[in-house]
Amino acid sequence: MRKITTLHPSDIVVQAEGNIVSDMDGEKVMLSVQKGKYYNLGEVGGDIWNALSKPATVAEITSTIERAYEVKADICQQDVISFLQHLLDEELITLLDA
Amino acid sequence: MTNTAQRLSYKAFGLQINSEFPLPELPTCDDPGILGAISVTREELSSKWQEIPKLSSHIGVSSDHEVMFQVPEIAIFSIRDGHSIVVSPFAAADEDCIRLYILGSCMGVLLMQRNILPLHGSAIVVNNKAYALLGQSGAGKSTLASYLMDQGYYMISDDVIPIMLTEGVPLAIPGYPQQKLWEQSLQHLGLQSSEYRPLFKRETKFAVPVHNQFHNEPLPLAGVFELEVKSEGSVAIGPIQGLEKFNTLFNHTYQKLMIDRMGIREWHFSTLARFVNRLPMYRLSRPADGFSAPRQTSLLLEAIYEGVDQ
Repeated sequence: MRKITTLHPSDIVVQAEGNIVSDMDGEKVMLSVQKGKYYNLGEVGGDIWNALSKPATVAEITSTIERAYEVKADICQQDVISFLQHLLDEELITLLDA
Repeated sequence: MTNTAQRLSYKAFGLQINSEFPLPELPTCDDPGILGAISVTREELSSKWQEIPKLSSHIGVSSDHEVMFQVPEIAIFSIRDGHSIVVSPFAAADEDCIRLYILGSCMGVLLMQRNILPLHGSAIVVNNKAYALLGQSGAGKSTLASYLMDQGYYMISDDVIPIMLTEGVPLAIPGYPQQKLWEQSLQHLGLQSSEYRPLFKRETKFAVPVHNQFHNEPLPLAGVFELEVKSEGSVAIGPIQGLEKFNTLFNHTYQKLMIDRMGIREWHFSTLARFVNRLPMYRLSRPADGFSAPRQTSLLLEAIYEGVDQ
């Protein structure tokens, strides 16, 4: 069984390897080669994905998105965490030790 | 073997094929195709085959854009850089069979080396646009295509449909004017199988020339129908949506196992992403028993002209 983790703002995350991403009419689509599964990250999700190319804290990702889309901090944090949680559950990102 | 081998120029898959092997099912041509020219030559390959890194006992891939495969008792084939196919036949190999591999497996690999997406299926012309009929072996691609031709529609390709992207629009490129049919479907369509030449002795498919109803210019690919057999129920149609479209097109890419072996999965995925969103795709299912082509045809035409409820 895989450990179920709940993300916190101070957690450091990064893209997992072995996924291919491409652009589909402005939305980011992804193929997990190992699982043979396809994902549509959408437009905002694509920006979050780009921000994950190097290890970053959840808080850093949130403020990147906040600036790009001019959204309220508390709502943004909620949405970003829930999106990152999905990515983590699908093993598309890795949680690094602080 | 002589060193004065005669080469003839043929046209298929958008290519001018300059071949030392006679390819009588292809029309001859004097001009380079829209995708350029390639050569098919005869050369001894056994030592090269020994050296190339193997992915399996029958397939070898080298880093410099060469794929080789060996078919026992038939030949060793080498496909290089998207512009040459070299064949090294074994003694007493069946010529018809060698040709089948040149026009099938070798072409599939060669097209991918040229960044052309080869889909596995038949393509027909409706309203001056191409529609692909995809599906597993035995799903009824050729039978439906043949029935549509009986109704007066033209075929653009059978078996391998090369897809080329121009400004994000997928174009279906003509194959060659021949149709492969299973014996069972020939009987349904009222033709005598003895009138046609078997593709080769161990195959039960038959080749039917279709010169009169062959469309020999590229056309925009305007829709995809995935044919499916269900054990029961009636002929039915439904849309294929969202990310499932990637699955369908991956599953029906000709020689799909070669995609990872050639290390071109990223190219394949990004190629699909460039047009899949705008391409209407449908699943057309039929029961295993009975002759469903007439009903499939009316559902297919309805989808093309009126769309399908989501």
